[in-house]
Amino acid sequence: MNKQRLLLPIVLLGCIAALLGGLSLFWFLTSNAWNFFQSFGISALWQTEWYPYEDLYGFLPAILGTLWALCIAMLVAIPCGLAAAIVSSELLPNTWQSIARLSMEILAGIPSVVYGLIGLWVLLPFLQEHLNLLTGHSLLAAGLILSLMILPTIMLMAQDALDSVSQEQREAALNLGLDWNQLLIRILLPQAWPGIRSGLLLALGRGLGETMAVMLVVGSLDRIPQPFYNILEPAQTLTSRIGREMGEAAFGSMHFAALITCGLVLAVFATIISLSAQRKGSIA
Amino acid sequence: MFKSIFVCGLLLLTSSPLYATERIDIVGSTTVLPVVSQAATLYHQQHPNITITVSGGGSGVGIASIIQGTAQIGMASRNTTEEEQAKLNGKVDNIIIAADAVAVAVSKAVYESGIHALSVEQIADIYRGKVRNWKDVGGLDARIVVIDKEASRGTRHVFAKAILGNKHARAAGASIISGSNNEEQAIISHSNAAIGMLSNAWLNNKVRGIDVIVKGTRISPTIDHVRDNTYPLARGLHILLPKHASPAAKNFVQFLLSEQGQSIVKQVGYLPIE
Repeated sequence: MNKQRLLLPIVLLGCIAALLGGLSLFWFLTSNAWNFFQSFGISALWQTEWYPYEDLYGFLPAILGTLWALCIAMLVAIPCGLAAAIVSSELLPNTWQSIARLSMEILAGIPSVVYGLIGLWVLLPFLQEHLNLLTGHSLLAAGLILSLMILPTIMLMAQDALDSVSQEQREAALNLGLDWNQLLIRILLPQAWPGIRSGLLLALGRGLGETMAVMLVVGSLDRIPQPFYNILEPAQTLTSRIGREMGEAAFGSMHFAALITCGLVLAVFATIISLSAQRKGSIA
Repeated sequence: MFKSIFVCGLLLLTSSPLYATERIDIVGSTTVLPVVSQAATLYHQQHPNITITVSGGGSGVGIASIIQGTAQIGMASRNTTEEEQAKLNGKVDNIIIAADAVAVAVSKAVYESGIHALSVEQIADIYRGKVRNWKDVGGLDARIVVIDKEASRGTRHVFAKAILGNKHARAAGASIISGSNNEEQAIISHSNAAIGMLSNAWLNNKVRGIDVIVKGTRISPTIDHVRDNTYPLARGLHILLPKHASPAAKNFVQFLLSEQGQSIVKQVGYLPIE
């Protein structure tokens, strides 16, 4: 009884703190973005020129860059992560399974600046040499580094989901004469799908918000690639722009408001992603 | 348990004034940074009770952090803009501690292919995107990697004003944007076809400075040409000291201007003030 009395206020307090944190963040983002949109209008979102000193704030190059980098990352990381999870959960003996898990957990724990430096010193020279690029700084490099960073999330979540499918189901399926392919595609993946999906969502979120590693390899050039699907050119992402310019933007200035608006655009993206996933059913 | 924590806290509170260490945060230009960080090390040896942290970010960041009061001393490798000046509102002393030359830097391979000097017009054409291959200005056959810098960087202001005519001029030919001097130096040395802007103290075997031709006269980016005012991309290196700064911060700036401080300036490769 005594313990309960102590616990309840603590829980409530924590809940209120979380709520206040979320609300103040929302207020901060929207009030700054409101200032920005009042001066420049919503059309800034699809204008292409970003020159803060000339009061030109066009978001399109960075929005496009963010989406491209994320697409490349997901295209690489989803097949690799799922395959790794399937092999690790279904085919490997227990000891190897835990080694695979451990190595993924280590991968997940490495700070993002280290990934950025790996990109800078290993990936960029490689791309420069083999694809005959100017410096290697490109959307492709950003996407590849991102894919490495979100791989552990996808793989670990998918493996957990596969492991949680009960052993009886596997045995029943095999007894019915299903071969391994059918077992995987008809039984295991559908059963594990809610878990896999929340792994994908977490990975998307991390990819969307990743700043440091992307900033080091993307080239930070505020220009739409020519043609727009040319992922071998340097470009800019929303996060990299915030990272590069936030320090110089005086608090309260229009430049500052524009950068906060970049943050709001990211937040809106993240919300859209999680809403679109929730509509199809609850997240495991 | 709680008692002992309380006692510990009390001890900490009462004992701290005895070992009071003052901290000075210095932020800004990565061109000024090598001088200030070496001076800070020396100063800390002489005054162990004062800790100085020095970090980069660029001139724009240095000036912004003085405006916002997040650092005690700012470093800048350019003059403040009118907008920044208005925000500083006369509450800050702007002290020049050294001068240096912004060199037009190229990759070793470019230098060795015969590019030892370019005219202001040629450099402007490269940065405007009108010249895209080194062979068009007499060098090797390779696409030019044009390195631009973040818009608030001091080096960019000086370079853009002298070459493109306006400190905020656009560089449509830019193929990549870099930040700190370190980053710029790394990109140039990794490339075989890069051109960039870099303080002359940061040049090395892989990152070569070329001469600039102004109205037919060829001028090399040396300290001597900064001294006699002939080099077009020369600039002062500034320290921003708020008028209400602590005595320790003021004292450290005096140290930078002293004989010891100025010998560090010389050693890093900049021109000491007379």
